[in-house]
Amino acid sequence: MHGDAMSGGVAFPRQDKRTLADDGNELRFCSTCAFSQACLDQGMDKRALMDLHVLVEHIGPFHAGDHLFREGDPFEAIAAVRAGTVKTYVVDRDGHEHVLGFHLPGEVIGLNAIDGDTYPCNAVALDTVMLCRFSFPKIAVLATRLPGLQRQLFRLLSRDIGRAALLAGDWSADQRMAAFLVGLSRRLAARGFSATRFQLTMARTDIANYLRLAPETVSRVLRRFQEEGRLVVDRRELEFLDAPALEALAAPVLRD
Amino acid sequence: MESQSIAFNADLLRRYDRPGPRYTSYPTAPQFHPGFGERELRDAAATSNGDPIPRRLSLYVHVPFCASPCFYCGCNRIITRDTSRGEAYLARLYREIALTAGLFDRDRAVIQLHFGGGTPNFLSPTQLGAVVETLHGHFRFSDSQDRDISIELDPRFVNADDIATLALIGFNRASFGVQDFDPAVQQAVNRIQSVEQTRAVVDACRAHGFRSVNVDLIYGLPGQTAEGFGRTLDIVAGMRPDRVAVYGYAHMPHLFKPQKQIDDCLLPSGETKLALLQLAIEKLVAAGYLYIGMDHFALPDDELALAQARGGLHRNFMGYTTHADSDLLGLGVSAISHVGDSFSQNPRDLPSWQAALDEGRLPVFRGMRLDDDDQLRADLIQQLMCQGEVPMAAMERRYAIDFASYFATALERLAPLVEDGLVRIEERRISVTSRGRLLLRNIAMCFDRYLDQPATIATPRFSRAI
Repeated sequence: MHGDAMSGGVAFPRQDKRTLADDGNELRFCSTCAFSQACLDQGMDKRALMDLHVLVEHIGPFHAGDHLFREGDPFEAIAAVRAGTVKTYVVDRDGHEHVLGFHLPGEVIGLNAIDGDTYPCNAVALDTVMLCRFSFPKIAVLATRLPGLQRQLFRLLSRDIGRAALLAGDWSADQRMAAFLVGLSRRLAARGFSATRFQLTMARTDIANYLRLAPETVSRVLRRFQEEGRLVVDRRELEFLDAPALEALAAPVLRD
Repeated sequence: MESQSIAFNADLLRRYDRPGPRYTSYPTAPQFHPGFGERELRDAAATSNGDPIPRRLSLYVHVPFCASPCFYCGCNRIITRDTSRGEAYLARLYREIALTAGLFDRDRAVIQLHFGGGTPNFLSPTQLGAVVETLHGHFRFSDSQDRDISIELDPRFVNADDIATLALIGFNRASFGVQDFDPAVQQAVNRIQSVEQTRAVVDACRAHGFRSVNVDLIYGLPGQTAEGFGRTLDIVAGMRPDRVAVYGYAHMPHLFKPQKQIDDCLLPSGETKLALLQLAIEKLVAAGYLYIGMDHFALPDDELALAQARGGLHRNFMGYTTHADSDLLGLGVSAISHVGDSFSQNPRDLPSWQAALDEGRLPVFRGMRLDDDDQLRADLIQQLMCQGEVPMAAMERRYAIDFASYFATALERLAPLVEDGLVRIEERRISVTSRGRLLLRNIAMCFDRYLDQPATIATPRFSRAI
């Protein structure tokens, strides 16, 4: 048995009722909101936030290749991804790109700017992206008054740091690849997407860069996984056939 | 598919004999538009390089020249006996090869190379060898067992020594045009070739280790009779080519100028045409050939038949192929490419193609990007043409659709075909019956979104189904 019956949910980035962001209204937060629960727990609805002049605005759609912010732009807001995939990256002095991460629906970008006045990295849309922007100084002030919101911010920050540390270890190409795929699968499943079928919205070179592998190695490892019956790849679409095998391979990296 | 069987029902075939696409692509070429150009092709190639496992490459090289005009021809070709035109053409072709190769990551191996025309053997074996060598210089050829280098050959202009040279270059598949051995028909279509000539080159291919030989026949040609065509079929079956294609002649002189030289009075009636088709099917099946689909037959141990049995058959501009998972690059005048989710085509006239290359541009004059709906329908039509079924349940899951509502219009159009027993709607799939196998294109047409557009129906761009 595989597919929907086991994992539920539609294959990212396709949308269905469960994954499509409910845009909310003047009083309700939208369903993908990273902060709504924290605010609601404190008895604050959207109206209450507006009264505090916390600007929450939906922006987009951005299209593949559009930059959401660039390194050095003044830092004013963090944003939650409502749809699509965002890649963050920096460019070193020699002009080489370094991919910092991929941000999926429900995840927040701009957190690594909190320390300064400008964004320390670039963010680019990999497909059609919709964002929800929160003016940062306001939400930070609000967080001092709402302990739940503060906890949520810290949680997001630590998740961001933890993910970056994952790939720092001395792992094999197979382990890195498996950890990357299992990680994506879990993050997507948490948003109601299928855990076993999804599209790799990022290019092979981006995956290679992020995992510090050669692009040819990315393909070679995936081809071998495919020959071993662990997964199947068709263009950008990927399906787990033997999720336990991939989980086992990824376990040391993900510290399960 | 119902155990490869075909039921021949003349009444049905008569009723369903209407113009329709051959679905070597979906959407079909009339949907290509000039808004898709060089930049769009570059984008499509870059995106295809970004796939986690980028597809292997299939190369198609179009050689537009023919030394002699066959009157039935609907291909893009130039009649000339001036062999120096070949050299001039190759100079441009090499430029195109260099430009195109640069679009693709070097680790993408070539799994298939095909020469079509026109008459590819208008070029000498030495020239063909130079083309293959140039391609080797720009692309990495796969060393996989199933790598194919194939060519369409006119038996009148090739001999056993040439075949030996081609084998040395790496050619391992050949397709020969025969059409009909009946002298009266050969006279009427201006293509005189003897049985001996043909047999000699088919045998030479065998002797030099070619993996497969295909023979093309055409029914519906001027002067054709059941008796004469029957003899041709017996002779061809006796040569045991691995594959036989039996095409219906589409007389459309308003589209294909050379056909104006065919005397309408000599064309067989609709009845005779049907009888010729029936004869071809009966004789080939009796000789042990399996019907693959559309116009194609193959011996049971041929790779097409084996691929179909394991669900790995694919259809593209070169017909049926076993190389399902590749991006197709068309090189040369009028050639069509299928890269990622795009189709694109080179100019159909030599001067425009040359001009683009002389300016250092990729010679794309039209194309299109497939949207989600196009891709879904292309997948569906592909499965219909190759496997004889529409796996509804699998498609619902793959594309997150409710089949019945998504294809409500298509299913409505399909209803009379269900009634006539061409297809059967089962719980999880729609399957083509033995009655429907000869009418695959009519079944596919039900799912073609663009046929809803009146402009497409009004202009008879497509040949008739039979």
